[in-house]
Amino acid sequence: MLDRSWRDWSWIGLVIFLQLLPIVAVAMNSFATEWAGTVLPVGYTDQYWAKLFADPRFMAALQNSLIIAVSSIILTPLVCVPAILVAHCYFPALDRWLAGLVILPYAVPGIVLALGLLRIYSGNYGIVLNGTPWVLIFGYVPLAASLYYIPIKNNLRALQLGEIFEAGRLVGASDLSIMRRIVLPCVMQGLIVGLVMNFTLAISDFVYANLLVGGHFPTLQIFISVLHGGSGRLISAVITAYFAVVLVATAIVIWITARPSTP
Amino acid sequence: MIEIGKKSRAAAYACALPFLVVVFLFEIAPLLAVTGNSLFKGGAVSLGNYREILTSRFYLNAFKASFAISLATAAIGLVLALPTAVILQRLPGRIQQFVLICSNIGANFTGFPLAFAFVILMGVSGSFTLLLARVGILKDFNIYSNSGLVIVYSYFQVLLGILLIFPGLGAVTREVREAAHLMGAGGYVFWRRIGLPILAPSLISVFIMLFANAMGTYATAWALVGGSANLVTIRIGELTAGDVFSDPNLANALAMLLVVCLAVVIMIEQFVIKPRSRHA
Repeated sequence: MLDRSWRDWSWIGLVIFLQLLPIVAVAMNSFATEWAGTVLPVGYTDQYWAKLFADPRFMAALQNSLIIAVSSIILTPLVCVPAILVAHCYFPALDRWLAGLVILPYAVPGIVLALGLLRIYSGNYGIVLNGTPWVLIFGYVPLAASLYYIPIKNNLRALQLGEIFEAGRLVGASDLSIMRRIVLPCVMQGLIVGLVMNFTLAISDFVYANLLVGGHFPTLQIFISVLHGGSGRLISAVITAYFAVVLVATAIVIWITARPSTP
Repeated sequence: MIEIGKKSRAAAYACALPFLVVVFLFEIAPLLAVTGNSLFKGGAVSLGNYREILTSRFYLNAFKASFAISLATAAIGLVLALPTAVILQRLPGRIQQFVLICSNIGANFTGFPLAFAFVILMGVSGSFTLLLARVGILKDFNIYSNSGLVIVYSYFQVLLGILLIFPGLGAVTREVREAAHLMGAGGYVFWRRIGLPILAPSLISVFIMLFANAMGTYATAWALVGGSANLVTIRIGELTAGDVFSDPNLANALAMLLVVCLAVVIMIEQFVIKPRSRHA
């Protein structure tokens, strides 16, 4: 038994190590004075970080990325979660449609949808969204829908909804308040998973941001791609900053939503 | 299903409406636009774009290379993610959560940041390349190549694989394990005879999702190899945003063929493999 758990831990340890290795390498590179031809950097400095924080383009990109990612995790659950709940509770036929719609982006890669969005929202049909953050905030909704749908459905399947509604109605509660006070707290866990993944998706996207908005509202990913080919140290600092943002945001989302909710 | 009155029924439908509208405007409509535009060539409706692609060795090779890289990385992803997910299931909940959160961040670690990180590690003078060269393996490895792409893709494929496989592992319940254990099935026999057959349907879906994910990867390949990689997504991007080769309608036709490829694979899984494995 001891032998097996030792093997388990070393495998997971190896996976975590390999997972973190590229991130650690980038972070080390951002502090390196020189790192070429050696396994580890020759010396360390924070001059590239100072340079980065003095760069107004970085601050603007960081702000833009946060605006888009935060808007996305507000809009997407507002649009998706009610639909998932009512479809599951009242409309099985609609639910089958939802299941197909949320899986569709797996068959249709981002670059394909981006081509379509590029055509539709450039003014050919009287609507211009391209070049504005709106096309990203709305465009991420279908991409992120499955991130809410799958975990929330798992939570919902574990509930005896028939009994919950019967009991709730018996004491005079409206369906809306049953949904809000009983069903929603029960799917909280799925919702948190969705929020975390949605944030990461929105702040990590390059394809939509590059093709649809580009330099009009440059995000961190765009800024990184612009720096590409320039100073490797500076890019490393931006990428490390991007990771720090994702980590902090993940922690915040989990912290806010996982607090015991008052009934 | 819960029964509701006529009035609340309308209200409930209204709750689902915003989602359906947004999905139509930002998923269905763009797809229709791509389909429509792929049928225009030189201002007239024709199948010319498709003919051009299907008779071009260059574009067919792009499909072949995309297929090969996607199959390889989906297989690598599945083979490495499965034991990780199985082991993870045995570990305490906090560790599970930690690894899954890291995997989510890692699975989204794509595009320029990922390519850049791998160049630091495995580029010409990367530390990994130096270490491996010192030991004597990997003499002339080139990260800016298709094998480089396989290694870089594998990073997010394995992590995505862990995220996708983990929830499905619930199918191998404690009761099943204990029953098998009582009957004397050890680790290897258990997985060969019981565990894997139970998980097979979900593993096949995970494989297909990983395959589709790799087929659709654009940013990572573009960041690492640029236009010199002959992959379908790179060609689409070049025909859309390129200065020299711009031909949006041809890009749309390529995109449609990519969607058709993925749709065929997914349909085979849904209608041929899934029903069979259910009877087995």
